[in-house]
Amino acid sequence: MMKAIKLAFITMLAVVVLFGLGAPWALAQTLRIAMDAGDIADLNPHIGHSTQDRGILHLIFTGLVRYSPGDIGKFEPDLAEKWDVSKDGKVWTFTLRKGVMVHPWKNNPGYELTSEDVAYSFKSAADPKRSAWAGEYAGMTFEAADKYTVKLTLQKPLSSILLLPKVADYAGGLIIPKKPAEELGEGFRTQPVGTGPFIFSKYLPKEKVVTVRNDKFYRGVPKLAGVEVFFMPDLSTRKFALQSKEIDVIEGPPSQPWVEEMQALPGVKVNVFGPGEAGVLHFNATKKPFDDIRVRRAVAYALSRDEVVTTIGKAIAAPVYSEIPPPQAGWMSREELLQRGQKDKKDCLYEFDRNKAKKLLAEAGFPKGFTTEISMTERGEYQVPIQNIVAQLREAGIDVKLKVVDHPTYHSNIRKDLNTIVLFNCWRPTTDVRLTHFYHSDSIVVTGKKPITNFSHVGMIDVDGDKKVDNVDSLIESTREMLDAEKQVARWKEVQLKVIDWCLSYPVFIKKFTFARQDYVDWGYDLKSTLILSPQINELTKINK
Amino acid sequence: MKPPSMRGKILRIFFKNRTSIVGACISVTILLIAILAPWISPYDPLKQNVYYRLTPPEGSHPLGTDEYGRDVLSRVFTGAQISFLISLVSVAFGMVIGTLMGVIAGYAGGKVETGLMRLLDIIMSFPDEIFGVMVMIVLGSGMGNVMVAITVLMIPRFARMAHAPTLAIKEVDYIASARAIGASHLRIVIGHILPNIFGEILVMSTLWLGTAIRLEASLSFLGVGVPPPTPTLGNMVRMGVDFLAVAPWISVFAGLAILVSIFGFNLLGDGLRDITDPKLYAR
Amino acid sequence: MMTYSLRRVLIAIPTLLVVLTITFILIRVAPGDPAEVRLGDYASKEAVEALRAEMGLNRPIWVQYLDAMKGLLLGDFGRSMVNGRPIAADLVRSLPYTLELTLAGILFGALLGIPTGVYTALKRNTLSDYLGRTLSLGGLSFPTFYLGILLMLVFAIKIPVFPVVGGGPLDDLSKNLYHLFLPGLTLGLIMTAYVTRMTRSSVLNILNEDYVRTARAKGLAERKVIYKHLLRNALLPITALIGVYAIVMIGGSVMVEIVFSRPGLGRMMIGALKQRDYTTLQAVMITFTSFVVLINLLTDLMYGLIDPRVRFK
Repeated sequence: MMKAIKLAFITMLAVVVLFGLGAPWALAQTLRIAMDAGDIADLNPHIGHSTQDRGILHLIFTGLVRYSPGDIGKFEPDLAEKWDVSKDGKVWTFTLRKGVMVHPWKNNPGYELTSEDVAYSFKSAADPKRSAWAGEYAGMTFEAADKYTVKLTLQKPLSSILLLPKVADYAGGLIIPKKPAEELGEGFRTQPVGTGPFIFSKYLPKEKVVTVRNDKFYRGVPKLAGVEVFFMPDLSTRKFALQSKEIDVIEGPPSQPWVEEMQALPGVKVNVFGPGEAGVLHFNATKKPFDDIRVRRAVAYALSRDEVVTTIGKAIAAPVYSEIPPPQAGWMSREELLQRGQKDKKDCLYEFDRNKAKKLLAEAGFPKGFTTEISMTERGEYQVPIQNIVAQLREAGIDVKLKVVDHPTYHSNIRKDLNTIVLFNCWRPTTDVRLTHFYHSDSIVVTGKKPITNFSHVGMIDVDGDKKVDNVDSLIESTREMLDAEKQVARWKEVQLKVIDWCLSYPVFIKKFTFARQDYVDWGYDLKSTLILSPQINELTKINK
Repeated sequence: MKPPSMRGKILRIFFKNRTSIVGACISVTILLIAILAPWISPYDPLKQNVYYRLTPPEGSHPLGTDEYGRDVLSRVFTGAQISFLISLVSVAFGMVIGTLMGVIAGYAGGKVETGLMRLLDIIMSFPDEIFGVMVMIVLGSGMGNVMVAITVLMIPRFARMAHAPTLAIKEVDYIASARAIGASHLRIVIGHILPNIFGEILVMSTLWLGTAIRLEASLSFLGVGVPPPTPTLGNMVRMGVDFLAVAPWISVFAGLAILVSIFGFNLLGDGLRDITDPKLYAR
Repeated sequence: MMTYSLRRVLIAIPTLLVVLTITFILIRVAPGDPAEVRLGDYASKEAVEALRAEMGLNRPIWVQYLDAMKGLLLGDFGRSMVNGRPIAADLVRSLPYTLELTLAGILFGALLGIPTGVYTALKRNTLSDYLGRTLSLGGLSFPTFYLGILLMLVFAIKIPVFPVVGGGPLDDLSKNLYHLFLPGLTLGLIMTAYVTRMTRSSVLNILNEDYVRTARAKGLAERKVIYKHLLRNALLPITALIGVYAIVMIGGSVMVEIVFSRPGLGRMMIGALKQRDYTTLQAVMITFTSFVVLINLLTDLMYGLIDPRVRFK
């Protein structure tokens, strides 16, 4: 009898002790997130651009300045405690936070980040051989003034609207520490070393990237023990993984039924957040029949933005009427464009009117419509809207044949100037970048001085029939250097109004991002918008289990 | 074991016939649907109605609507038409080219034979899906290219099928005598060899129609088949997978159509093969 | 036997060379550029040019070809164009998953298919035969990916027994098998259909042979007849055809890997194709082909062993 009681007592003690020991274990959890990708492409922060790359890079790297978590409308100091700008807007001085430790790597336990690292990182970001965003940093010189001070000298002044994004925790602004970058060389791409809340641990190709908590993180020890980013390109697989609780967060498609389906699952919550990618149709004015402004306008009138938005899903998409989407500086709402249109006696909206479209087509010499063939990517986020756009145009007699190719080929083709119409979904960090890329003559595909995405060829041709080449180059350039934010925004609107009048592009929709998560995942902040296309996981994110 | 009873014999003949009859029924029905698709489809398979999407099967839409509000029934009919068109053309071309290759290889012998058969062996050594994907990536998507890819995959099958019997027939006495009286090679091939193997080839092509349908579906599932909005049974399954939980009818019915088509052709081919197999008649 | 084996091995080498050349040509003919893939839609022309030079894509084509040939045949697979990692390491990691999946399919198919085939052959023209034949015909009419998705739906949602994520660790056997079950079942069921049919027909062929009649006439017990004469003689065509269907399984494994998100050669290949990762694709194709060649070789050798007549052709 005594023996039995003793045994029971010891067992209970053991259980309590184990529980006690287990408790702190239960607190520190690893977040498992599954992305819609087959593998990483590149974990060099100055090159990696795909959604999965950016998500991982954001765990490992930080910048001088950061976008407020969950809200891209505001900036906060990060690696830089404060900054000053000279009166002429050409010299910026950043004061670095002290005691920021670079992650340990290989045989190196890590070291304190100084201005030398920051200067190195920006030099790298400005080098076209090492960075996809080198163009952003042209004419910018970064110097290590003293251990904790970085001086940035610009050739032309920039307002803070345009400069801060370049030094923020995004793309070229992510700071690559000098020592590990130089030591690892090419190897850095698959073994990144930064200053962020999580440290790269291992990479299992096609399977996952594992990161662990950075105990020395300067904003505070992360609540999570680590983050594992899984690659699951199949939507059904991701969903099943979430339901079976093998994964905590999954990337979703821009699809309303999916959002509804996920919301209906017990214990699952969906985040729909911005800013989103704006989908704009660009008309190539150098290819027939789009050289005729009436044809371009006909296409615009033949489309109902509402129908496209409904196809994508009203919960995740909204119509846009200007090239610059909300909330970027310079965006214009429907009301504003309506007013401007009434004031200038022009139509700035091209709202759905199939009869008008048919009439314009007849006037331009296509009473029965016309056929055109375009290259199109197989990617879902393009396919969903384009299928509806094509179906709508078909009703107006415009037969758009799609030649579907894989995504890299699509981007290759449109840059070779092969398409008459280009659908382009993207977000660009600043208004100036977006306008320059799409409407400056330097950016004209193939023939421009710095060809990138000016598909309509504005700046090279006469678009309104007045026998003069039309462009918005000087307008864009002069606005870039303005320091008065209000005037700058007004000018940017002028650029867009011109483009709308020439009907060189037709902004259709803005589509937000969707992620589904277990309800025990708490981001640690209010997720409204984020530039990295996936929810930011930082030191405040935790799992409540 | 007792010798085959009367009952067994009757069962056997009945079964043999039944297989081919059932197979023939299914195949013909599906073919008819495919041919008549434009006339029997209640809706335009391409017309979208996004305000009425993903609705379950009911009166006006017996198989429901898809993610763009298009009628699934009409799309299954049209999809069957396109999938069948692709398969028939591919098998037809594959049959002509492949049979010729096999006969030439068998008849000519020597280096020609070795060279051709070796090349075909190499193509056949790639698993179908892998080879298909590679060809499609190079050619780009589109119905014509899918036909090319599947034709290339059919050729070695037919060539192999035609090769062995050609070898056998070549050795037969009456060929030697035909040569002796001065018949040209061409005459022998057309007059003696082809007619003899024609039956077998035709039977196998029924079976390989099913293979071609499956190949088109697989290529579409991997994303390199005929692209939307053109419906094919394969790309409908692919699109429907994303909505499996909310709208399973898209994938289920398209997939079912694939399954039934392949099954029908397999039954027919199997039955035909049984009937024409001399060995089975002996007993 | 030795000369026969040697001959078969020698024939394998030109096959590998041809496959490699075809792959090399095909992937370069395909539109799209690996440098552009890496840089994405934000890339400027100069960044792309710089990257191309770095990747060695600006060298004359025959230089690239010889380089690739040399590397692959000597076993140096180089680095992936897209992520810079040594390809051999990735291959070594992915290979076991594809191998175990294909093997699982073949084994399952053989273990279930052969007895079923024998049974239906013996019970020829009865209801069981009819049922068995219809079911196996249904099995091979099923597209692999469709079967995979249906199984996943039933066994990971309705009855959440099996996982859908990845392939499981390589060092933990039970976990690994747990992840292997559904994918393996998908391939296995289809393989069973093939094996059943083929076993049935080869058994039927044997049943009609004279020596079986003789054995029966001699009054040997039915069982002895089956085991001694039937199976041993049916083994040859079955072995050969399992070799052929192993190739089918490899193709099927590509579909299954995509559906179940399993790491493996199939996913690696599709990924390399879509990303225009020339080097990885070449390495994967060589690996696939080596397998095919190996399987054919083994099948031929087995042929040689079982049937001495073949050796002296």
